[in-house]
Amino acid sequence: MRNASYSDPLGLGRGPLTRRLPVLWQAPTDPPEVQPFEAGSGTTAGRFLLRVILSVRRVSVPAALAAIVWQVGEAVVPVVTGLAIDRALATGNARQLILWLGALVAAYVGLTVAAKFATQLTAYAMQLLQHRLRSTLSTGVLHPVGGSVHAPGGGVVSVMTNDVARLANGVQLVIMPIARIMAIGFIAVSLLTTHWLLGLAVLVGAPVAVWLTGILSERLSRDTREYQGLVATTVGLATDVVAGYRVVKGIRAEAEATRRYRQASQETLVGAKRNAGLLGRFLMGSGVVTGTFVAAVMGLAGWFAVDRQLSIGELIAAVGLAQALLPQIQSIANDSIPNLAGARASSARILDMLKTDVAVTPESDDAARPVVPQLPVLEVSTPSATIRVEPGELVGVRTDDLTAARVAEALLDPRGPRSEVAVWLDGIAARGLTAQEYRSRVTFTPHRVMLFSGTIRDNLTATAASPELVTAAVRAAACDDFAADLDLPVGEDGNRLSGGQLQRLALARALAGDAPVLVLHDPTTAVDSVTEHTIAERLRDVRAGRSTLLITSSPALLGSCDRVVDLLEDALAPARTTP
Amino acid sequence: MSGTSAATEHALPVAGGRETAKEVWRLSRGHRLRLATVGALGIVSTGVNVIPPVIVGFLVDRVQAGTADLGTVLTVTAVMALSAVLGAAGTAVTIVLATRVYHTILAALREQLVGRAMTLPQHLVERAGTGDLISRTSDDVTAVADAAPAVIPALTVTAFTIVVSLGGLAALEWQYAAAFAVVLPVYVLVMRWYLRIGPRVYGAERAAMSARAQQMLESQRGYATVLGLGLTEQRHHSVMTASWGVAVWTLRARTVQGMLSIRLNLGECLSLATVLVVGFVLIDAGASTVGGATAATLLVLRLLGPINELVFVVDDLQSALASLSRMIGVATIPEEAGEPTATVDTDIAVRLHDVAFRYGEGPPVFDNLTLDIPVGQRIAVVGASGAGKTTLAAVIAGIHLPDAGTVARPGRTTLITQETHVFAGSLRDNLTLAAPGAADHDIRAALDATGAAGLLDLLPDDLDTMIGTGGHPFTDAQAQQLALARLLLADPELAILDEATAEAGSTHAGLLDRAAEATLRGRTGLVIAHRLSQAATCDRIVVMEHGRIIEIGTHDELVAAGGVYGGLWSAWEAGRSMNKVERTGS
Repeated sequence: MRNASYSDPLGLGRGPLTRRLPVLWQAPTDPPEVQPFEAGSGTTAGRFLLRVILSVRRVSVPAALAAIVWQVGEAVVPVVTGLAIDRALATGNARQLILWLGALVAAYVGLTVAAKFATQLTAYAMQLLQHRLRSTLSTGVLHPVGGSVHAPGGGVVSVMTNDVARLANGVQLVIMPIARIMAIGFIAVSLLTTHWLLGLAVLVGAPVAVWLTGILSERLSRDTREYQGLVATTVGLATDVVAGYRVVKGIRAEAEATRRYRQASQETLVGAKRNAGLLGRFLMGSGVVTGTFVAAVMGLAGWFAVDRQLSIGELIAAVGLAQALLPQIQSIANDSIPNLAGARASSARILDMLKTDVAVTPESDDAARPVVPQLPVLEVSTPSATIRVEPGELVGVRTDDLTAARVAEALLDPRGPRSEVAVWLDGIAARGLTAQEYRSRVTFTPHRVMLFSGTIRDNLTATAASPELVTAAVRAAACDDFAADLDLPVGEDGNRLSGGQLQRLALARALAGDAPVLVLHDPTTAVDSVTEHTIAERLRDVRAGRSTLLITSSPALLGSCDRVVDLLEDALAPARTTP
Repeated sequence: MSGTSAATEHALPVAGGRETAKEVWRLSRGHRLRLATVGALGIVSTGVNVIPPVIVGFLVDRVQAGTADLGTVLTVTAVMALSAVLGAAGTAVTIVLATRVYHTILAALREQLVGRAMTLPQHLVERAGTGDLISRTSDDVTAVADAAPAVIPALTVTAFTIVVSLGGLAALEWQYAAAFAVVLPVYVLVMRWYLRIGPRVYGAERAAMSARAQQMLESQRGYATVLGLGLTEQRHHSVMTASWGVAVWTLRARTVQGMLSIRLNLGECLSLATVLVVGFVLIDAGASTVGGATAATLLVLRLLGPINELVFVVDDLQSALASLSRMIGVATIPEEAGEPTATVDTDIAVRLHDVAFRYGEGPPVFDNLTLDIPVGQRIAVVGASGAGKTTLAAVIAGIHLPDAGTVARPGRTTLITQETHVFAGSLRDNLTLAAPGAADHDIRAALDATGAAGLLDLLPDDLDTMIGTGGHPFTDAQAQQLALARLLLADPELAILDEATAEAGSTHAGLLDRAAEATLRGRTGLVIAHRLSQAATCDRIVVMEHGRIIEIGTHDELVAAGGVYGGLWSAWEAGRSMNKVERTGS
């Protein structure tokens, strides 16, 4: 670190004075290996919260110690200032001035260094926890190896972002409130030793003042949440209208869309004005409460000073300490308690998600089970027929949407709960195979394709074993026209590509994987008839020697198959299986 | 990994500092008296806030001199309490007034923005990407609205507090103000340092967060793809890498904040020490009292809070300002003269004459393309990807302006593409978008004509069912039926369907094709045909290749001619009867 001290590689704005200092507690560039948190069925939200926030003690304990020094240091400053006025300014003693200035600087150095340590360590602890929680949810819910009971809903992203952050914030509970309580203790002792009655008055008065402002803020925070909801609605409406921009343009509904937005915007404005009024009331109320409290302390201390029970410095220190006490109590009431409530609620949501979406555990204990060959016969049995794909065959299935969806679901995850459609590999029920065994043989491409952000190459090489496979797949899926440069980004959700291009690229990705058995579900619905014809002509060659099952109604694609199983006719005629 | 470096050469405009100020000034019309009141009240209430430290100094002096009694203490306490009440009231009213004006102006601006966004020439938006427009109308509007609690006190109370407190210091003894003025440049330096570093690091942190959200969303939405293609391990790795990317930048951002705190503490320590030293010297020289020094110290302590706050919000202020100029940049794009749309002939609906078009500097999509569509005729366009079909549809619809040649089209032209959008709102709202005020029986008739009447039975609240984001889910096919029903209600002279029925599963294809058929009845139609069965029912078929029309004629003529279309048709026919053909495996 010393070698690089003259440069500023991270762009953190280290100047001539600070660049020689080491940068402490930065995250390493590579993610650390983390173990998922355990969340058995007996775990309660509170216990899970405790387990999480106590899991980084190696970071949180030093952070708490530093925070104590920091908060007590903040309380020391008014005391030192008062003493400096009392002992140096009032007496004209230069030695005392130097002594107390030294004390002031020392207090600042101490509290500054401690604050830096405390905040950085706290942030590090929170990030470590977030990462570990996210990893737990990633393997448990978003990417279960064996598939899950049902696909994770959109809520999983919100849980993995907001709830994970809120639960990780819980670690602050074992850092800041402890430091603040220590600081309150310091202030209490200082005041009581200055004058017992003054100390008592402040220690009783301050919580009352905080309680009063708390009452005042309650209505405001309720309304603020409501108002934020309004803003979100207006913003959502704008996003929605602009997202449908092409549709609005296409039907010439610009004026109507604008009118609707204006209406929502005006409703939000009414909310904003009401919220501003409540904010005003709160500011007024809390200003009056704290102002009166400080004035009362001042009056009491002033009277003791007149009575010669307090020195001038003690008077100043007392007022300073009383003022420093308020934010400490306020912070515990306004930050720590909501933090605890929020962390607990998030803990419960995360637990819920981990429990309901448990992956189906593979039963791989049966050692005597026959081994599935690398290129097996694929059989899919529906209540009305059995689709059989011999090794190396290209078989088409024409069926109605509902049956297609059921067959697709079973092929995607044969160990899922649906039982009307069964999948067999060489006569062995796929339900009994491990996820790994099944997926190393059968690759399934759903109709609704999804490209991942990155380049065309990133998407293709996700499955491809060799560059030759990529080239062959690009050609077979007729992507030559737009995928000449493999390093073009596809955009978020592939939004840089047209619907047809997206589908062809997804087909290329499936082909590039060169799976022994490949199942394609309606792979060319968005591709125009001319290009579809080209794809149909090339598909046989690229899949030669491998098995392919096509679920489609496209005449062009069905035309290229070795055999077609027509389940549409089965609905009318007796079940017709193939020779 | 962030993927934020999208091509920006065609981004929508951003207003400069002067234009932003000018537009905000223009929008403030009608609120200027209130703004002046805000200024006056701000100064008065912060002035009242200076009283408590000064009165404490007064008490200290009386106590030292031994002239204080219970009456003095009570008076001082009463004055302090009173000034606290008045100061709080003044500050509260100032902030309330300022907040109301702020939000009123913001509302006017966001409405202007969305209104302008809707009427922008579509080629501008297409070039910049709708993402740019979405971020201006959502992220930027939110940023400016959220900045209010930080920005308003900073611009009103805090700024005045600094000025008034400096005045208070000077009133005590000019040396105190001078001493503090010496320390102020430290704060200016700190602020400049922070403005240089902070936004960049926070920007990177935010970019890392959106990259993380994107990775998680892709895994969630692509759940079946991930599972089916066996990409589980890879996706987990991508998500975790993006997750840690946020950790890296968050810790860097905390470091910068920590460095800022160190600098602010340095300034604070320096200010206090300077005032104490100056107080010491002044008292020594008999120019100030201990009470004066106390008042000065309390004033400085009081000042430090707002200054620290100002330094911290300067970053919010800056990003709010950046968002504001992005909003104003779009809101003030001048209206352009509409492209003349004259129908040349009463029996010709669309006339393209020698039209040339290219995207930016790219290769020409087509040169001198000429095509007439008679009123009431239905034309199908067939061709491979890249033949220029969609571009042709967009040029005829007026979304792209031709580089050369002329395009004549009817005044009421509607384009429906593969891209559907279900607006958040009721089903009725979704349909009346195209025809505000349409009666319910017209709406039902439109749904009926597009074969969507049965849909109503599936919805819990009939036409009032909330659909779109967060509402009752619609399938792709239903969304397309909705789009076609909208077209019926809009009742245009020319309807262009650009593969409008393509995204349908196997059995819905026929249903949607029939719906499209119904919507085209009685008007001129241009269909970018996806399935050949669709083309076959049109009056005339245009076959395109590399931007040129290579075949044109009726279905029977083209099949008989045995050209490109004829070849496609026979392959299509063969596939349709495939279940009767058994080909032996290779």
